[in-house]
Amino acid sequence: MANVLRGRAAYAIDVRGVGVKYDLRLTRKNTLRTSFTRLAHRRRGVDRTFWALRDVSFRLVHGESLGVIGPNGAGKSTLLQVLAGIITPSEGAIDVVGNVSSLLTLGAGFDQELTGRDNIFLAGAFLGIQGDEMARRSASIVEFADIGQFIDAPIKTYSSGMRARLGFAIATSVDPDVLLLDEVLSTGDQVFRAKSKARVLEIAAAAKAVVLVTHDMNWVTEFCNRAILIEQGHVVAEGDPAEVVAIHQERSERSRAEKAAEVARILAGASA
Amino acid sequence: MTTSETHASFSSSAARPGPIALLRQAVDDIRSRRQLIGYLVRADAKKKGTDTLLGNIWWVLDPLLQMLVYVILVSVILQNSQPDYPLFIFAAILPWKWFMSSVSDAIGSITTQDRLIKQLKFPKIVLPTATTVAAILHFVFGLIPLGCLLLLLYHDRISGNLVFLPAIAAVQFLFTLAFAYVVAAVNVFYRDVENVSRHALRMWFYLSPALYGASAIDRIASSHPTLIELFKLNPFYVLFTSYRNVIYGSTTGAPTGPDWIGLLVLSGVSVVFLALATILFKRVEPAFAKVL
Repeated sequence: MANVLRGRAAYAIDVRGVGVKYDLRLTRKNTLRTSFTRLAHRRRGVDRTFWALRDVSFRLVHGESLGVIGPNGAGKSTLLQVLAGIITPSEGAIDVVGNVSSLLTLGAGFDQELTGRDNIFLAGAFLGIQGDEMARRSASIVEFADIGQFIDAPIKTYSSGMRARLGFAIATSVDPDVLLLDEVLSTGDQVFRAKSKARVLEIAAAAKAVVLVTHDMNWVTEFCNRAILIEQGHVVAEGDPAEVVAIHQERSERSRAEKAAEVARILAGASA
Repeated sequence: MTTSETHASFSSSAARPGPIALLRQAVDDIRSRRQLIGYLVRADAKKKGTDTLLGNIWWVLDPLLQMLVYVILVSVILQNSQPDYPLFIFAAILPWKWFMSSVSDAIGSITTQDRLIKQLKFPKIVLPTATTVAAILHFVFGLIPLGCLLLLLYHDRISGNLVFLPAIAAVQFLFTLAFAYVVAAVNVFYRDVENVSRHALRMWFYLSPALYGASAIDRIASSHPTLIELFKLNPFYVLFTSYRNVIYGSTTGAPTGPDWIGLLVLSGVSVVFLALATILFKRVEPAFAKVL
């Protein structure tokens, strides 16, 4: 971090040759039995690793907002998790200057038995915000979430809309230097959606840097001043949002055409 | 308070820190997030107290009912003539209940928070720490029926040695915390831990001098000299013996102090175990978000 601060302090995010490797042997719901089976079959030498990201490098200076686009499963969300510090890279390194907030945290840490108010403090503590600071913020959180008397009732009595609103209100009560966004704004009624979009834009305007992952190309061209296109873990295009979006659309059009051709071939083979 | 928001810049890279650095990180994690641990502990206590009809009364009734089962089994059916057997067995049930609930809460402490772990950067070590600290309440509530037993039925067994209870409990806590870190971390990768632990804990209890005294183990010493050494390596050999010495005394009713040498050795071993467990936890922590 020291070298970032020394002469290149304007960088908010510095990503250098980052790769994220998943070890497929360690994926979900392992049991000892499967491990033993694998141990027995180990000699076959199958590579059981998977690179979700590889050779990703970019820098974001203050004032920039980066749009990250790409097909499903390209590694966009993994990139965001790396930038949020949730996943440590398997190779390469990143530096993030300033406090980071990902609005990914919509109610993830809620404790069903606790009241809304208790959950505000609990969520704050998970985010690393001290209780007295959270006490100062809680009034505006309660107001924004607009759940009235329910704030002192256990979360389990909340409707899903109320839960989402409270989560959003807590997540956006921070004012981050670096904001990470992963299309979160599809919850709640229309009024709340409009309200939340306005709030996100407000935070983004105040933040020093924004990284936005989305499938909505309009957001990218309107809102970002740079974009990268990720396919199968690699950055395949970088630059002006309109150009990158155009490349993405052309490439996805082509792959769709290829898929259609393959489907036609399979169907033809089946009928023959 | 190192985790103020304004200093939240971070670097992360493929370089993995060495054991000493990991240990230092863990201490930092716990110190900077002690408020979070406090909230989690309080939430845990609140939850356990409110979701049943009798609330915290269960924490008092539970060891008493278990005591009753063993009293019927050992004193009535097996005709064992250990004097004041209810108190004798309660001195072991109290610490064991505590250990068992600590372990079972720790096992799920990481895996049940999978959503949070995949969405937020925070030191995961606070989770098993919080459940283990919260489980102390089991011990504290267990002291109520113990006090009642001593005052109402066995007041001639009350001795000044009871003041050593906190010291024995402290050694047990160290050992339990280390154990909690290990099971919490391993359960992320191998979900069998939960199944294995249920049986392993039961066997552990029966192989420890809980239902029977340390003297019962000494009796078989002549016929199985190596077996006896194995028995004495069990941390709960030292713990149960110490608890029983201060709560129950000797069979004749004379007061006895805890097994000081055993406790000293065990606390040394527990500190080393805790350090190793912490290093293991911190070493595999980066993989949690990927595996869950």
